[in-house]
Amino acid sequence: LCRGGLAERLCRLQNRERSAISFWRHQCLSGDRIPSDKSGVLIVKILEIFEECTIQVAICQQLEQSPATLSPEDAVINAEEPILKVLFTRETAAHLKSRPQDVIHIYPPWQKLLIQNADVPVIMNTYFSQKVLLSEHSEAREKTYGLTKMLIRKNIISLAQTFRLDDVNDKLHQESSDNQVPCAPQTHKNGDSQRRPLALSAVNDSLLEMVESQGAVGWREVQVQVVIQRVYCLPAREGYRSHTQGNKPLLSNGGMFCRLCLLVQDAYGMFSEVQLQSLSSTDGIEQYCRRWEGKSCCLAGMKILQRTTRGRALGLFSLIDIVPVKVPGQSQDSEMMTTNLPPPSFCYILTVQSGEIHVEVDEEEQISNLYQPPAVHGLKEILRIDGCNERCSFWGQVLYQRLQTKHSVPIDQREMLLFVTDSTLQNVAHGIPKVVAVSVTASCVLSMEITEALSAGSQLFFKDALWGNGRIICVERTVLLLQKPLLCSAAGADLSELTGPVRLDELDSTTQASSICALRGTVVGVNESTAFSWPTCNRCGNGKLEVCPQDRELLYCNQCSEVVTAPVLKMQLEVFLSCPSRPQSTVKVKVWHEITMFVLLTMLLFLQTYEVQSVLGKEVGLLSCYVHSITSHPNCVALEEIVLL
Amino acid sequence: MDSCTLPGVAEELLREIRKAFQETSQAEMFSCRLKFIFGPSAVPALDLVDQRSVTRLRSPSGRILYQVLGSSGKLYTCYSSCHFCTCPAFGFSVLQKSESLLCKHILAVYLSQAMGACQELAVSEEQLTNILLAEEEDEG
Repeated sequence: LCRGGLAERLCRLQNRERSAISFWRHQCLSGDRIPSDKSGVLIVKILEIFEECTIQVAICQQLEQSPATLSPEDAVINAEEPILKVLFTRETAAHLKSRPQDVIHIYPPWQKLLIQNADVPVIMNTYFSQKVLLSEHSEAREKTYGLTKMLIRKNIISLAQTFRLDDVNDKLHQESSDNQVPCAPQTHKNGDSQRRPLALSAVNDSLLEMVESQGAVGWREVQVQVVIQRVYCLPAREGYRSHTQGNKPLLSNGGMFCRLCLLVQDAYGMFSEVQLQSLSSTDGIEQYCRRWEGKSCCLAGMKILQRTTRGRALGLFSLIDIVPVKVPGQSQDSEMMTTNLPPPSFCYILTVQSGEIHVEVDEEEQISNLYQPPAVHGLKEILRIDGCNERCSFWGQVLYQRLQTKHSVPIDQREMLLFVTDSTLQNVAHGIPKVVAVSVTASCVLSMEITEALSAGSQLFFKDALWGNGRIICVERTVLLLQKPLLCSAAGADLSELTGPVRLDELDSTTQASSICALRGTVVGVNESTAFSWPTCNRCGNGKLEVCPQDRELLYCNQCSEVVTAPVLKMQLEVFLSCPSRPQSTVKVKVWHEITMFVLLTMLLFLQTYEVQSVLGKEVGLLSCYVHSITSHPNCVALEEIVLL
Repeated sequence: MDSCTLPGVAEELLREIRKAFQETSQAEMFSCRLKFIFGPSAVPALDLVDQRSVTRLRSPSGRILYQVLGSSGKLYTCYSSCHFCTCPAFGFSVLQKSESLLCKHILAVYLSQAMGACQELAVSEEQLTNILLAEEEDEG
């Protein structure tokens, strides 16, 4: 069967239905009388039966109330009672052994169909039907009938009658909504959620069946019980325009507008991404994660946005794949058993129906045993993972942050490169890098708190980042948190704090561009053409000071609106070094003043004397640098000195 | 009450699928009903639709024929003017035993029509005739 196709979907539904039906039949046979006063039960009296193909068609009279209250002799057809055509499958018919005058109770989820130009409504999906015996008389009669076989007329269907799918008078919504009447019978106008008599809980627990029975129009009263596996924010592209003021996007609270989303799973292994309300900021996402992940919740008032498949939504499915495929065990209070079943190949994206959100999370309850918390690994382990597009979670110290500086790209779509380490990388002597680069794409929504924490260099929890092709990327559905979640399986990962100063790999022949490294060497040259210095405000650091109109010897800062009495001199210089760790390359380092004491002294010396000689031969020791580029012809490495956070 | 019920039900169901598909590009809501009415043909028919196995052949004079690529790789022909398919299941279940309304190929044709999943092929009059005659020869 096609993965993710309609056939596979029906198969899944069918399997569940089958076990529900056999359970029902068993219950009926064992004599349990199921009370008929539950809502949604259709009570009919059979008038006539015939067969078409393997379907049994019963012309019936719909009864308002339980016939136990009517006298058994009451066989007169009341002209007021509505007539229905009820269809039964061969198996159901064999189980019922109905005859005219029998009263049948049909339990939900049955379906009603109204055919154009026909008077009589048709009732289908009548799997859960039971004959009701009214009195002792009936029981005796039943036993006698059971021995004789009743002859039922069979209608032969003409092949000449083909089906016309297009409507000559195509009435739109009105027609379809009339025809798609779900279970609630017309006599019962209550909006109660349907109750299957077999269900252990009053609320439906299958996403697939809910989608199936209510249609794309959405379901209002019906509730589905699911487990929240993940909470995250997705960038909201649609709502974006409406929030802009003029041409300038309103970037309050650190960035983009986003939608709060849940990845939920039902008891049958079906997943769904539920898109909830738009948030103006992601502050509070950490709260939602903490309070909601792992808990059960009831969804109502949702509508289907899309059915998507593995091939089209790799990111979403890489997250779904974290959860091992489990099936409910055979016994009542069963453990979930992990199976060799393939993981799901399609899922639904649901969204809120016209402003009303019904998501009731049972925060007090226990964590569901379906919940798959993020498995935390040390970075060393993650670097060793074989696969591609694997979701991974880790706790890391951010050493340096670099924003993509292409000016053509708008702020909200800029990528960021983070350099992260942990004790598993720091404590190893050789063979693996000490620092790993993590790119954060624009689609990974960051809260203001996180953005601030990143500039301050903190330890952050990266939940569900993507690993592939030797890189860790934070994309959609990755969440960065300030605190480790309460529930996560550490699997022996060393999550201890870093002891001692952080060490970087030294520049050598294996160093790559866009990485950070440590550097030591001797000054062999200076790029005089790019050397310059400028004064900055000692209060606010503003580098664009102006000359005071009153006194041309003083400098004025616009931002502080004051004269700068003690300007700080900033300098930029490109220095060529000879590095013993990478002797064959020309190493060019852009150094900044006020970073290292040594450089300051050196530069001051240089500027005072304007003598390159004075800096030549000077030892430059263990600078932290960002590698801009590495070229092989000529063999040159261009770096920039950085400050670790 | 003497006229048949099932064809009307089947037609209505297929119409609903088509309408839903036109409005929302989803035919999700009807699998259960399909299963109820068409029984064991439902899943195989949906699979044929998933795999885009149905082709509508049209000749210049306006004659239409459907060809369905079965799971075994064999090509079956379904008529458009009446319910007929060249597959053995049709001969057995529909003609002989009157157990099914349609075979899975005819159902796949209808579903493909409803969901816009038919492949279209323009053929010449001669080609269409040959296809029809070829079926006859096989039977003979």
